[in-house]
Amino acid sequence: MGETTLPERENPRTVAELEDLAFELRSKLLHLCGTYEGAVHIGGDLSAADILTALFEYGLHVDPTDLRNPERDRFVLSKGHAAVCMYIAMSIRGFFSYEGIVDTYGQLDSAYGMHPCKVQLPGVECSTGSLGHGLPIAVGMALSARGRGESHRVVCLLGDGETGEGSVWEAAMAARSNELGNLVAFVDRNRQLMTSFAEERVVFEPYPDKWAAFGWNVVRVDGHDMGQLVEAIDALPGTDSDRPTVVICETVKGKGVDFMEHNLAWHAGSLGAADLERAMAALEASRQKESV
Amino acid sequence: MPVTFTFGEMLSARSVIGTTLAELGDEHENLWVLTPDIGATLVEFRDKFPERFLDVGLAEQVCVGIAAGLAYDGNIPVVSGMLPFLSMRALEQVRSDVCYPNLPVKIIGTHGGLVGNGGSTHYAVEDLALMCALTNMTVTSVGDPLMVGEVIRQSMSMEGPIYIRLAVGKKDKVLYEPGQHEVRIGKGIVAREGTDATIFTHGTVVAQALDAADELAKDGRSVRVVDMFTLKPIDEELIAQCAAETGGRFVVLEDHLAYGGLASRIADVVADRGIHLSAFERLGIPQVYAGFGEDEELRDKHGYGLAATVAAARSVIAGGQ
Repeated sequence: MGETTLPERENPRTVAELEDLAFELRSKLLHLCGTYEGAVHIGGDLSAADILTALFEYGLHVDPTDLRNPERDRFVLSKGHAAVCMYIAMSIRGFFSYEGIVDTYGQLDSAYGMHPCKVQLPGVECSTGSLGHGLPIAVGMALSARGRGESHRVVCLLGDGETGEGSVWEAAMAARSNELGNLVAFVDRNRQLMTSFAEERVVFEPYPDKWAAFGWNVVRVDGHDMGQLVEAIDALPGTDSDRPTVVICETVKGKGVDFMEHNLAWHAGSLGAADLERAMAALEASRQKESV
Repeated sequence: MPVTFTFGEMLSARSVIGTTLAELGDEHENLWVLTPDIGATLVEFRDKFPERFLDVGLAEQVCVGIAAGLAYDGNIPVVSGMLPFLSMRALEQVRSDVCYPNLPVKIIGTHGGLVGNGGSTHYAVEDLALMCALTNMTVTSVGDPLMVGEVIRQSMSMEGPIYIRLAVGKKDKVLYEPGQHEVRIGKGIVAREGTDATIFTHGTVVAQALDAADELAKDGRSVRVVDMFTLKPIDEELIAQCAAETGGRFVVLEDHLAYGGLASRIADVVADRGIHLSAFERLGIPQVYAGFGEDEELRDKHGYGLAATVAAARSVIAGGQ
């Protein structure tokens, strides 16, 4: 992504490799959820796992050995409660060690907690957690890139539930008004809030039309289909274009673990040893099923 | 060609903001100015640096969020608007997007206190309590229009965020002869020397405190006036010094709720440091939504106008003898 002089990967990841990495990400998420006694936002982590794998392993132009390279793409996790999914995706990409995450997560003085903090973990681009804040920050970063004549992208991952916050639509309007074609939002459209299924309590549909009405390019993909994610990334308009793009990713909360899918009980939780075994078996079964 | 102003003259603090930012835009290529539809103050900057000026329209939250994004990328953003909205509607953005990562975002705004006759939706009267509660935030309230430029200029080298509160900003009395006092963020200004009592104050009512000191001088009272324009971090040494030198007799006068603002900041210092006071009076807005009227009328109505200030000073002097 972006026309920069950061070194290109010699061999870009294939879709099959990305699928393997997404499986690895889910496995590591479950392992952490099984060893940490506090709550992990496992449902929304699993729904975002393919998107974050596609971004950190394929889409984002970043260099784990040169964190502050000015030409890097910026990534803003607006759904900050998926922090651990981002930490692990970044660890697989080589930013941090997975052991460092799983051994210290949520503990006193750990850099890795429920919501990302730039001060404690400088390897992330910004501090988020309160919903509806990430897209405005991403707009600021995209404006800054434009002001400096830089051609990297700013990519923001939102949950669909948080697009109930008005600040998201303020940001959508600001991005279009300022012609920020270097800004891309991915929406993890898992259709679940914390305590309800999305359309039961809040009518989001016609969801793509709302983004289109704000002047954004709208792309829709199956957020668990790595081929579609890669295709969407490849088809993004150039960073000098005048419209921001939203990639609405249809996803399933808890994806990959059958007893977590479409289950309000698994917005957040922890797995004991027995449930971890059951979850890992379910994940493996899901993979077998999808590879058939 | 620098524009000069003299003591007692009326000057627009808003135009000082615009001209100062336009000057600073030359010195700092990473200075951005953002506003939620209050851009008239900023025309000098806007016209000179249109590529670094952003009016987001009526959207305070995204204005602060965008400023945070700019600051993450190494810029110095100034957000300018009306404080009742920047301090409350965008409070969470100020707290979580700006203060939490300690970004150098400057919030400069008007309508601090009961000014502008807009009614209680348009009075920022809780703002200092809110801003002083935020970790990493430096909080100032400036009455002298010439000081506004100096405070903005000094803030450019600060690592973290700053809040700069003005009154309505259209017509403000120049309180100090240029160069008469050293203006330093974090240090109070002894605007008038005195030995019988100290009136601590800030912002638009510094002028009223000075008038009160003049009144009291007529009956032989020597009252010190301290312009505590930085509320956070507060000048603890000056508070201790005033307690020692003015008989432990304090009046705090502010255009803000009487609890939660400067009086509370000073009371904290007094309690924490075990400073002995013989008398303490706080003058500010009681727990009311103030209604309409000119600011001077409202201050009289709500018990912190000029007459009340004079009476409070007399009371602490009598109580402290």
